[in-house]
Amino acid sequence: MPQLTADMILVMVMIGIAVFLFIVEWLRVDVVAILMMVTLPLLHLVTPAEAFSGLSSNAVVSIIAVIIIGAGLDRTGVVNRLVGPILRVAGSSQSRIVIFISLTVAGISSFMQNIGAAALFLPAVQRISKNLKIPISKLLMPIGFSAILGGTVTLVGSSPLILLNDLMAPFKLKPFGLFDVTPVGLALVASGIACFVFFGRFILPGGKGEEHSPAAEERQEENQVMDELGRPWELTTPQDFTHYREPVTVDELRRRYLVNVVALVEPPDFKILGPAPDQEIRSGVDMVVYGQEKDVRRMAQEEGIALKEGLEVFKGELAEHASGTVEAVVAPRSSLVGKTLNQVDLAERFQVTPLAVYRQGITYRAELGQLPLRVGDAILLHGTWKRLELLHGEGSLLFTTPLDAEQLRPEKALFAGIWLAVALIMVIVFKIQLSVCLMTGALGMIITRVLTIDEAYQAVDWRTVFLLGGLIPLGIATEKTGTAAWIAHTVLNAIGTVEPIVLLAVIGLLATVFTLVISNVGATVLLVPLVVNMALAAHTDPRMAALVVGLATSNSFILPTHQVNALYMGPGRYRSVDFMKAGSVVSIVFLVVMTAMLYLFY
Amino acid sequence: MAIITISRGSYSKGREVAEKVGSRLGYAVVSRDVLLGASEQFHIPEVKLVRAIHDAPSILDRFSHGRYCYLAYIQSALAERAVNDNLVYHGLAGHLLLKGVPHVLKVRIIADLEARVAAEMKREGLSQGQARELLLRDDAERRKWTQNLYGVDPWDASLYDLVIHINQLTVDDAVDFIVQAASRECFQSTPESQQKMEDLALACRVKAALVKDDCVDVAVTSQFGNVMVYTKQGDRRSHRLEDRVKPLVKRIPGINHLEVRTGQPFPPEAC
Repeated sequence: MPQLTADMILVMVMIGIAVFLFIVEWLRVDVVAILMMVTLPLLHLVTPAEAFSGLSSNAVVSIIAVIIIGAGLDRTGVVNRLVGPILRVAGSSQSRIVIFISLTVAGISSFMQNIGAAALFLPAVQRISKNLKIPISKLLMPIGFSAILGGTVTLVGSSPLILLNDLMAPFKLKPFGLFDVTPVGLALVASGIACFVFFGRFILPGGKGEEHSPAAEERQEENQVMDELGRPWELTTPQDFTHYREPVTVDELRRRYLVNVVALVEPPDFKILGPAPDQEIRSGVDMVVYGQEKDVRRMAQEEGIALKEGLEVFKGELAEHASGTVEAVVAPRSSLVGKTLNQVDLAERFQVTPLAVYRQGITYRAELGQLPLRVGDAILLHGTWKRLELLHGEGSLLFTTPLDAEQLRPEKALFAGIWLAVALIMVIVFKIQLSVCLMTGALGMIITRVLTIDEAYQAVDWRTVFLLGGLIPLGIATEKTGTAAWIAHTVLNAIGTVEPIVLLAVIGLLATVFTLVISNVGATVLLVPLVVNMALAAHTDPRMAALVVGLATSNSFILPTHQVNALYMGPGRYRSVDFMKAGSVVSIVFLVVMTAMLYLFY
Repeated sequence: MAIITISRGSYSKGREVAEKVGSRLGYAVVSRDVLLGASEQFHIPEVKLVRAIHDAPSILDRFSHGRYCYLAYIQSALAERAVNDNLVYHGLAGHLLLKGVPHVLKVRIIADLEARVAAEMKREGLSQGQARELLLRDDAERRKWTQNLYGVDPWDASLYDLVIHINQLTVDDAVDFIVQAASRECFQSTPESQQKMEDLALACRVKAALVKDDCVDVAVTSQFGNVMVYTKQGDRRSHRLEDRVKPLVKRIPGINHLEVRTGQPFPPEAC
């Protein structure tokens, strides 16, 4: 039994300060991590080298590499192509998307490192959130938690389980098979997802409580504008469309039906995007209009134009990666102030189509051309990203939606795919360390110009890097000073000899607390020998006790200290409180389900 | 298949010409009927309407919007009739009230002043001096009114397709000319010109409803049922106007879309 030393007390104080700061958020979580990184060597609790070793750790380097790979996949539209089938299967219901993606992520993470699976899905989830206008905070946390839980499905799913057999070897216990943990793991994944499906509304941020926040209102307003604008519709004019009548122009359809023609075919098959107002519409051609359903249907009926089910001819040109709608605000001192859209003539100069003007809560759709623009007017523009970028460069309009999709390089999709495959093969087949494999993939993408090195640097989320890097020395200090061992001994001695189920529950709880502060591997290495001895003394199955540790070290949801949680915290705009709220529910369910399953099955 | 507006001064035989044209073509003839119609429609005593169109806006009118409102009613009532096509309207400003409609034949009938004086002396039993003075004052008032409201001089011949001086030419000659002109292709209503007429009627309907609701100083246009309400008021008051305007979409049939615009000059074709 180790003695309580001053260093141990100091480490516990530091842990206390870190957790306290996580909760009160006087400092952002990543700043708290940096604080730990700096304070611990100053207090001589770790060496300076150890203090910064986190930044070069396998986990952090893997995250950096995997974010770059993800960015490369996103830039080339690979993610978009993956998202399509997912949405076709899952539909647009939030619950179904959560269930579907969570199961997929859990499946993948049961065979590879959680963080890899989670990072690969990050761009996809971001895109789904954007496309379907579901708040990203509603999606990321369930998916992140599923990635962590998925690690418990097989014995190679997470580092603690990989280590488990090695740690049990000195005790001459029978090693576990690859799928021995699967029933428990599946139950854990299922219960985790169920938590979010049933209680997601209450435990996830961005729900009921946030609806009145300005951001939510803004979103609603934005949705309202989009509702008023309608969506793109593809139509085909009949063969006798121009017979016995004055030519019909783009402008006339707009004035008569308030629909905006954004693309049309000029015979024989020349596709025009962002046609000029005086462009004539010929017989038997396809065109795409933006408009409200009632207006478009009225036009189709009155003009005898056939309305199609969805985009067909212009599917490629008007796909998400090629063109879209942006909101552009008239800047102060812009040359456009006081001019009308007719005078500015965006359609002629930039081939973009103004769909609506939004001013002080009112949406203008009719006779946009005559409206003199004022500072602060938001113009909704449709056009190809290339054209919008040109307009953006002119500087008279401020774009409120970033034109990130503009830099898509679909022609590099093959390279992106190849390098992802290379990285995965290196991981799965050649068993090379994750960080090396992923960095190889990332480097490959940069060399084959899937993305530039600057884009790669920009893609990396430094919050995540420092949050993880800063917490690693805290774990080192806890282990090095013997604090962890002392706590474990004290707790286990205190409970004495109890029923096996109580012992397993206490071990689970202890492993959960440890994994929140020190790394899951560290917690496993520390606890397994201890609990095996305890179990032998209490005449409980020592293998079960070891397995509890291996599983419960994945039960890291309450603080954003797990790699996956750290990764998702930034993009999901989560706060520590959000993790505590949702995480404590999931953690409790985890402990209950795990203990029950182990008790019932083994 | 046309709309004929006949602008006339008092005692210029305009009424006679209009009625004869109407009976020759089988068109409805409207003059004070319109005012009466408006009066029934909006419950305004006829006297006030007559005054509105007659006396030039005085200084006082700059503070009360009475006459401005009544004109909105009259225009609406006239447009309502004109939508049905085949109409002869005689009276002041018909051509101005139906501006922008292509199939309107705009005629002005004038008569020799001496003949008018004689006619007035005969009808009212006045002395020549009195009759002349009254006629000149009447002419001046009508002129002032048109200038005030529309910024044009009714005596400007370029406002009309046809100006006929009844002196050497008789009333029947005038009727012949008008009937002949009305049969020209340019005055035949087409689907496009009829659409413009319907849009004008709709705009007038909206404006009359707004004026009735005390929203003055607005201009209204309509294009294919897409109605635009223009106001010179600031943004804050325009929001209030917006609240009043929106219910009209349900109340007045034919409105496809409605928008309120501020800080934009009134378009010339607006009513």
